[in-house]
Amino acid sequence: MMARLDVAALEDTIDETALERRANRRDRWLTFVTFAGMLALWTAATGSGLWAPLIKPIFLPSPFTVFETFLRLIDQGYQGRSLAHHVLVSFNRFAIAFSVSVLIGVPLGLLMGMSRPFRAVFEPPIQAIRPIPKLALLPLFLIWFGIGNLSKVVVIAAPVLPLIAIASMQAVRSISNKKIQAAQALGASPWVIFLRVVLPASLPGIFTGIRMAISIGVTMLVGAELTATSDGIAWMALTAAEYLSTDIVLVGVLIMAALGYGLDRAVRAVEGRLVHWSGKD
Amino acid sequence: MIEPIALDDPARQGNAKLVVERLAKSFGTGAGAIEALAPIDLFVAKGDFLCVVGPSGCGKTTLLNIVAGFERPTAGRVLLDDQPISAPGAERGVVFQQGALFNWMSVVENVAFGPRAQGVPAPKAREQAMALLDLVGLSGFAAKYPYQLSGGMQQRVGIARALANEPEILLMDEPFAALDQQTRELLQEEIRNIWRRTGKTILWITHSIEEALFLATHVVVMTARPGRTKAAFRSRFSENLDPLVAATPEFTLAKRQIVQLLRLESQAAQALEARV
Repeated sequence: MMARLDVAALEDTIDETALERRANRRDRWLTFVTFAGMLALWTAATGSGLWAPLIKPIFLPSPFTVFETFLRLIDQGYQGRSLAHHVLVSFNRFAIAFSVSVLIGVPLGLLMGMSRPFRAVFEPPIQAIRPIPKLALLPLFLIWFGIGNLSKVVVIAAPVLPLIAIASMQAVRSISNKKIQAAQALGASPWVIFLRVVLPASLPGIFTGIRMAISIGVTMLVGAELTATSDGIAWMALTAAEYLSTDIVLVGVLIMAALGYGLDRAVRAVEGRLVHWSGKD
Repeated sequence: MIEPIALDDPARQGNAKLVVERLAKSFGTGAGAIEALAPIDLFVAKGDFLCVVGPSGCGKTTLLNIVAGFERPTAGRVLLDDQPISAPGAERGVVFQQGALFNWMSVVENVAFGPRAQGVPAPKAREQAMALLDLVGLSGFAAKYPYQLSGGMQQRVGIARALANEPEILLMDEPFAALDQQTRELLQEEIRNIWRRTGKTILWITHSIEEALFLATHVVVMTARPGRTKAAFRSRFSENLDPLVAATPEFTLAKRQIVQLLRLESQAAQALEARV
């Protein structure tokens, strides 16, 4: 009898997935229309060679100009270095800062979540540091860590690491007590409970923290390349602005947007594979 | 079909599985302390199916949490096979109301978790888990994840998981309270069959008198907070194999007896709430 009931339940699920798929298709279509509309608006407002621009090119060049500039930068580079060099230098700074933040922040957060003494030691200083605008510390970082890559990495990691640590701590603390008790009652040692219960149960929260940190990290990249450098994609946009080369600024901005978006999608793909149970509790 | 008994009947003493002695629990200290559990005594013989029934907030879950080792008592002690207990252990299997399954593990991995934690090699643990899934009628769902199952099926997984360590006693905290009535009745019948087949000792917490009378060999009625035992009964309804035993006049009569007792308790509990 039970088996029959459950088959019915499964059929319900199938119907719902079909409906869900249709809704997803519609959502994707709407998103596409939004972007197409924005591009059309941009094209129309800037004239794009079809009519007189409504906005002067110095404020907003047409999408075609921006694309041409993009191709020219690929071909000729910017200020003596190739576009790929600028992108890679920035990506490198971001990647080092982000990897260090994850490698330190996640274990730190897990420990803070599990151990009260640990939390008492580390949480108050982290919470005290968090409201400080990290960009204001850049001059200090330049004095302490020099004008090389280290100071850039530090200024990116400064907000990213605490964010990941706190998110990981919250993830551990929000695990249902029943799951821990169930594992204890099944005779699991603290180490087994950590590996097979606490760690997987906190993964969804850790991923949320990492994804929030990506957008903060990309923002900090711009701050990191404000001064004391002569390469990087944000530096390219910042210096081009001094010469009112709005097209180059836009190429830089779009590349950074693509970087942030691409990283977010990559993390989401990993998350989807790793934490299929997320939000199903 | 129910008869009052003294839980500390000396005739039963030789067969003790679980003994709760003068167990008490308060939260907080001093004038603001809340007494959750007044000194309470319980005696569960080997093979008993003992249901503790009480009004909500009477401390029956606190009692179970102390027996499971999740909480420490303020006074008194718990003996399992004459050994005092102080921490959770694999010899006491616990089934929760809901939300205690590991959603990141498949159903069979959930059930095999206990044996694996005890050092049983993976293939052997899996074999045991499959046998238990068969016992609870879920062999076809071994590879599914808990969130893909209905509430009733999830509770079956919870029962199989608790049985996997071959515990001396099963501790069940209102395991069917969150289920709809049809599913609950079906599972009540099944847990009765499992109890008969395995001969396990079971300590079962519930607020449902029908459930207690249908399942238990012994029913303990608790008072309002702070909880203590109000009365204890030997029940014969669980020996009746008729699933419709609950529709008999004897069952209704027994239920009336206990309802009467609990009504007084619920009123006392409400009076207490009103004062707080």
